[in-house]
Amino acid sequence: MSTAIATKPILDVRDLTKSFVLHNIDGRTVTGLHNVSFTVEPGQHLALAGTSGAGKSTLLRAIYRTYAPSSGEVWFRLSDDSVVNLAQISDPEIVALRGRQIGYVSQFLRAQPRRSVLDLVIRAGVSRGMNVVDARELGILSLRRLNIGEQLWDVHTSVLSGGEKQRVNIAAGLISPPRLLLLDEPVSALDPENRESAIQLISELTHQGVAVLAVFHDLDAIARLATQIVVMQKGRIINNGPVDQILPQLHPGDVQP
Amino acid sequence: MSKIVIPDSVLKVSGLGKIYGPITDGAIERTGSQVGTARDHQTGSIVAAWDVNFEVAAGEALGIVGESGSGKSTVLRCIAGDIDSSVGDVRLSTFENGEANLLTLDAATRRKMRIDQLSVVYQDPAEGLSLGVTAGGNIADPLTAAGWRNFEGIRVRARDLLQRTEVPLDRMDDIVRSFSGGMRQRVQIARALANNPRLVLLDEPTTGLDASVAAGVLDLIRGLLEEFELAAIVVSHDFSVIEMLTERCIVMHHGRVVENALTDQLLEDPHHPYSQKLVSAARA
Repeated sequence: MSTAIATKPILDVRDLTKSFVLHNIDGRTVTGLHNVSFTVEPGQHLALAGTSGAGKSTLLRAIYRTYAPSSGEVWFRLSDDSVVNLAQISDPEIVALRGRQIGYVSQFLRAQPRRSVLDLVIRAGVSRGMNVVDARELGILSLRRLNIGEQLWDVHTSVLSGGEKQRVNIAAGLISPPRLLLLDEPVSALDPENRESAIQLISELTHQGVAVLAVFHDLDAIARLATQIVVMQKGRIINNGPVDQILPQLHPGDVQP
Repeated sequence: MSKIVIPDSVLKVSGLGKIYGPITDGAIERTGSQVGTARDHQTGSIVAAWDVNFEVAAGEALGIVGESGSGKSTVLRCIAGDIDSSVGDVRLSTFENGEANLLTLDAATRRKMRIDQLSVVYQDPAEGLSLGVTAGGNIADPLTAAGWRNFEGIRVRARDLLQRTEVPLDRMDDIVRSFSGGMRQRVQIARALANNPRLVLLDEPTTGLDASVAAGVLDLIRGLLEEFELAAIVVSHDFSVIEMLTERCIVMHHGRVVENALTDQLLEDPHHPYSQKLVSAARA
């Protein structure tokens, strides 16, 4: 679906390169991203496709600054419409943006001993400016939708199963969503039924105007969620276009983890 | 100009250094991470810390990592005033309007500063507590130093703090020596918080505790840092502690800061050769 009004990109990545210098393995350099450029607009869901080692997760991490970019620019539009280069701003500025304006939902829930499921989700909402009452209400709603029953709400997250952790992670990541969400295989451990509910929740982000940059390992999820597809190979972008144009060219092997 | 609002720093450390022994020309060049030693072979002086710079904001915990002898505890103890520093400038925005260098305070002013501005939680509870005194008495100590005179008021405050740090209240009048390691650490934390400090320095706060006890103490610390919007420095050789409590950290090696990074970035993409060695050793 295209809109008549041209929107400004929320993320504008230009010539992003990431190299790792391995000082303790004969000082060799491994390059994970080569001159990657693309944009994401509000309400776009951009799916990253490519085989294992293509650089999809590396790209998400370099944007989130878990990896320090080696060169290039990562322009992010703030809520006041000014832009900052995520590759250059200070560490405290990155900390201030993380979770609030830029979210990262990984495959794994970071273990938090002694924090209950519902508390974790509520805190995520509160950290993004919700009041506790609303965060609780919305949190309960999305936990229910993700099939996390009431008997688990006051349980510590550390004792949950892998699939339950992943669904709690989605509930926390998507409540009062940040303006840009980076999703790194967020439904990899889910059975078909739970996967379905999670995909439904993620698809609603696009209608809320959230910009999503995601890695999924199946074509079905990409077909249902993406508005744009970027295909990567060996750290480079080899194709980039609207979903109806790129999807027919993809094979299941192109999105293996 | 970026429009990102970041919290003001509470603590600002500039050019902090500590040398044991005579300081001679070239001592700095003859020591450090690149040279591979903190000991100046010409004089035998130890450059325990040099050119250390960082800032910490309210509600933020900064980690200091590095192996034993890297200088991380030295930095903490210089800031606390437990040891005299050779050089540097350390300011707390909440103390004397940020105009006083903590490193050059006279003894009386330093004591005053330690009462309600800055607390330390030591690895060894014996350093931060009087083991022969009751839990309640240990907390009453800093309160009376701050001018509390009402016995009942002190009891109420001590009870609140012990409750908050999950020490059973029926142990309040037992001497701390009879407590387990984990519980001693909780009493030390309660005492450290007694006068609502703005900065808390945590020196290996869970080292030596059983894993399950350590997890509980860590969780408690994290909750308190959030709740009271404290600025904190966490010194630990244990990356899981640093990962759980901090967003940013510095790496020290032979008395020098070799890397300054976001905590997740240090763990996933360490840059300095020493940081890479440290992280891969921790991951092995």
